[in-house]
Amino acid sequence: MAVAAVHAGGIADHIHPEPQGFVRKYLFSIDHKIIGIQYLITAGVFLVLGGLLAELIRVQLMNANGGFMTPDTYNEVYSVHGSTMVWLVIIPMLTGGFGNFVFPLQIGARDVAFPWLNMLSFWLFPPAGLMLYGSFLMGAPAAGWTEYPPMSLQGQAGTSMWCAAIFLVGVSSTLTGINFLVTLLKMRAPGMTYTRMPLFCWAQFVTAPLLMIATTALGAALAALFIERQFGVPFFDPTKGGSPLLWQHMFWFYSHPAVYIMILPVFGIVSEVFPTFARKPIFGYKMIAFSSCSIAILGFMVWAHHMFTSGMAPFLQLPFMVLTMLIAIPTGIKIFSWVATLWGGKIHFSTAMLFAIGFIATFTLGGITGVFLAAVPFDLHAHGTYFIVAHLHYVLVGGSLMGIFSGIYFWYPKMTGRLMSEKLGKWSFWLFFIGFNGTFLPMHNMGLLGMPRRVAEYDPQFQTLNRIASSFSFVMTIAILLTIINVLYSIKKGKRAGHNPWNARTLEWQIPSPPHYYNFKHIPSVFANPYDFNEPLPYRGLEEELTDSPAPMGAH
Amino acid sequence: MSTPLTHGHDEADQLYIETRELRVQGFLLFMVSDLVLFSSFIFAYLYLRNSGQGWPPAGGPHVDIWLAAMNSVVLFGSGATMHFALENWKHRNFIKFANWMMATIVLGCLFLGGQGVEYVSLYTKDHASWAGSGIFGASFFTLTGMHGFHVFVGVIYLITLLLQATAGKYTFSRYTGLTLGTLYWHFVDVIWVVLFSIFYLL
Repeated sequence: MAVAAVHAGGIADHIHPEPQGFVRKYLFSIDHKIIGIQYLITAGVFLVLGGLLAELIRVQLMNANGGFMTPDTYNEVYSVHGSTMVWLVIIPMLTGGFGNFVFPLQIGARDVAFPWLNMLSFWLFPPAGLMLYGSFLMGAPAAGWTEYPPMSLQGQAGTSMWCAAIFLVGVSSTLTGINFLVTLLKMRAPGMTYTRMPLFCWAQFVTAPLLMIATTALGAALAALFIERQFGVPFFDPTKGGSPLLWQHMFWFYSHPAVYIMILPVFGIVSEVFPTFARKPIFGYKMIAFSSCSIAILGFMVWAHHMFTSGMAPFLQLPFMVLTMLIAIPTGIKIFSWVATLWGGKIHFSTAMLFAIGFIATFTLGGITGVFLAAVPFDLHAHGTYFIVAHLHYVLVGGSLMGIFSGIYFWYPKMTGRLMSEKLGKWSFWLFFIGFNGTFLPMHNMGLLGMPRRVAEYDPQFQTLNRIASSFSFVMTIAILLTIINVLYSIKKGKRAGHNPWNARTLEWQIPSPPHYYNFKHIPSVFANPYDFNEPLPYRGLEEELTDSPAPMGAH
Repeated sequence: MSTPLTHGHDEADQLYIETRELRVQGFLLFMVSDLVLFSSFIFAYLYLRNSGQGWPPAGGPHVDIWLAAMNSVVLFGSGATMHFALENWKHRNFIKFANWMMATIVLGCLFLGGQGVEYVSLYTKDHASWAGSGIFGASFFTLTGMHGFHVFVGVIYLITLLLQATAGKYTFSRYTGLTLGTLYWHFVDVIWVVLFSIFYLL
């Protein structure tokens, strides 16, 4: 482990030279910033692949009698689409990508606690993705991203591959969680108390134990499914004494907290974006931080609300319903805090800010339908319909993906030293917002009218709504492509950003863009929270940071 | 036994002090997630066991409690020897430390051997494939097998620690690695207490 990873003070000021050569510098790097960018790029590739699968789904559903794909292929496509988006795009981008790049800078650390472990975490991720897509060659998983047995037991060989791939991502997540938690506990700069941490750090701080604990439970479930499929040992097969419900318990004990793994870091991102572009201190700092904690704790206690219709013991329904609804309270606290932050602020509508505001609008709608679904009587009606599809896409696309886009536009200048094109960005946002709502809003209606999810063909009465949804989905695709073009274009052609283009006050913006290998020349000390916009900066020891700023990425 | 006694306040020493906390914390968190892994399978076992088919399932093999009890004594004994090893290190007695370590390693291997005997006897009694024993096979073999794998990893871990200590990686005041190894070994012991209770006694 490099000395660069050591806690502040004493020997920590001794800086090791940056490794030279492409392989050690960019490929097998132990630098948290490079690893973060590696995560973002890899997950970006999977975003394109998963998006293509989504478009295949929408093309298939243009006509009531399908015809574009066989039902079997359709099953494979939506299963891999879901698995990709959850495990290969959103979670790696938020924790591996933004988490790795941003929070060590924000707490004034030179690296994460275990840089080599961090490198291992990343390098478990691309092989997992290759395995998931390789499963198409041997019959991809076809029982949805949840792979409920006994259907998944009958699936082709690709289902076992799916188990192994997701297990690998799971190990990667667990290691990342441990790494982040230790870093946040032990490597904060002097004076960086828990109540002075930027809210993005708080978000990662709460997400890390979820990653660590929940993902391990998923690993157990996947191992059991794999063993059953390969060796015939029955955990889940009811004909041999197993129980399909057991899978649902084990799977949702992970996958419900995973929903918060996919949204808590986004709460962190927008909590950075709002005060910066509204030029106001964040409203209710402590409430935002503590509500994250209560969301995380409640998140572990509500998994069975995914199982109301699965034959679970009825007396369990009421407690799970009430606990699920309770989560709306801390989430509501956050939303009101963000709105109160915007209230009376001098709002600067940059692209990052637009995405963050769009996030509030769509995520709130997704959250509200979540409260509907928590109610057992409503869930009995809506379960397994497109209402669920609409709800989860409002949370995961309108929530997580919007937040990711906001984060990309916000931190891109820090990562590359150049600004992204605002004009292209605004086009991207508006097309995305219109395309997204046009795609998924009609799905609420379809679901309430009774269109089941996961079907390749449907009743002709839903054709109009489906055609609207499919048409708008192309708009959304164009919007995402615009952002990708923007990212690629701006590496070379973007305007020079300087070290702090947004005039933000958290620590990462006070050092050169992109930051040096060792982050800080001297570990700074912190003496106030970062959101008081009228006060001088609350950091000491940063005087020398900007004296010889390196050239931005791709400057030559 | 060349260098455990040497002291030097060089850079590496300083680095050691400053990263000790990180390593301890990281290791503890790793054990938490390992505990979750075991808990998930234990939950699965109890869930299947209480799904109303009676336990052990009709026609399935019966476990031999005496073999397992002897095996447990061996494993708990190894916990004790590991404790003595660490205590002797703290009292700066390298020879005794090495002896107790070797005793621990031998006991660990004995436990693995005992488990092998148990598996073979269950397998032959069952007259069927590994899978034929139904949910018994699913929960029993996965959980004890996973524990056995942890013991196996632990034995390798302890051998590594012994070799490292012999090569002078630890000093008598800096031995976090040894403490963590001991912790891991006790952790595996504690898991076995739970597994023994739920599989053989319950």
